[in-house]
Amino acid sequence: MNEKKWHGLERNLFIWHPDINYDACNSCGMCIVTCGSNVFSWNIERNKPSIENPGNCVIGCTTCGKLCPENAITFPEDPKVYVRKIITSYKIFPNVKKELNERLLKFPDHALNGGTKQ
Amino acid sequence: MTSSFEYWHGKPRSDIDWQPYIDTKKCTGCGMCVVTCSEKRNVFGYDLKEKKAVILYPENCMVGCNNCQVGCLWDAITFPDIKSVKDVSKDIQENKVFKEELEKKIGIRR
Repeated sequence: MNEKKWHGLERNLFIWHPDINYDACNSCGMCIVTCGSNVFSWNIERNKPSIENPGNCVIGCTTCGKLCPENAITFPEDPKVYVRKIITSYKIFPNVKKELNERLLKFPDHALNGGTKQ
Repeated sequence: MTSSFEYWHGKPRSDIDWQPYIDTKKCTGCGMCVVTCSEKRNVFGYDLKEKKAVILYPENCMVGCNNCQVGCLWDAITFPDIKSVKDVSKDIQENKVFKEELEKKIGIRR
């Protein structure tokens, strides 16, 4: 858990997480129940979400922000611009290639035209 | 094949228009989308002969997530307009479904 990687890079080199505009948030709970990375917790006294684990947020993910019915969630910058900067500043593709091979070995039905099946 | 992602907070997943599309002319076959999508959802396959990503299980795509599109340097991935998804999210909110799930979640934690 404490040495998270993003395509071979240390996750903690990067700052990427949602911010909550508490004036707009109506405490519906969408963000905490849809996030698959356990970024949010619930502050029972204030009846509002909190950003509990910012380092768990997937770099470039803005799913909670897009789904928030009140538009109460923002991110530091345009995700595509941010991720593009990282991809072009670091050499991640050898690692991506490795991950791709591992994925296709682990899930052979995902390897088409020349995988282990057919 | 039955999917574990059949419903999204009570709504049939098949009623929600959200999945990636690949422009095979732009796809360079780098594989970034394939590995960006989680193993649990695993929407993509990879054509080893053509060296291109392929959409295999669009119904597994996480509603609102477009991390594959975000990571594609070649702009080869597109998604439907987020607006209809946002409307679904609003509808679920109005029916207090998120609230119920939240209460269940923090109830378990406490």
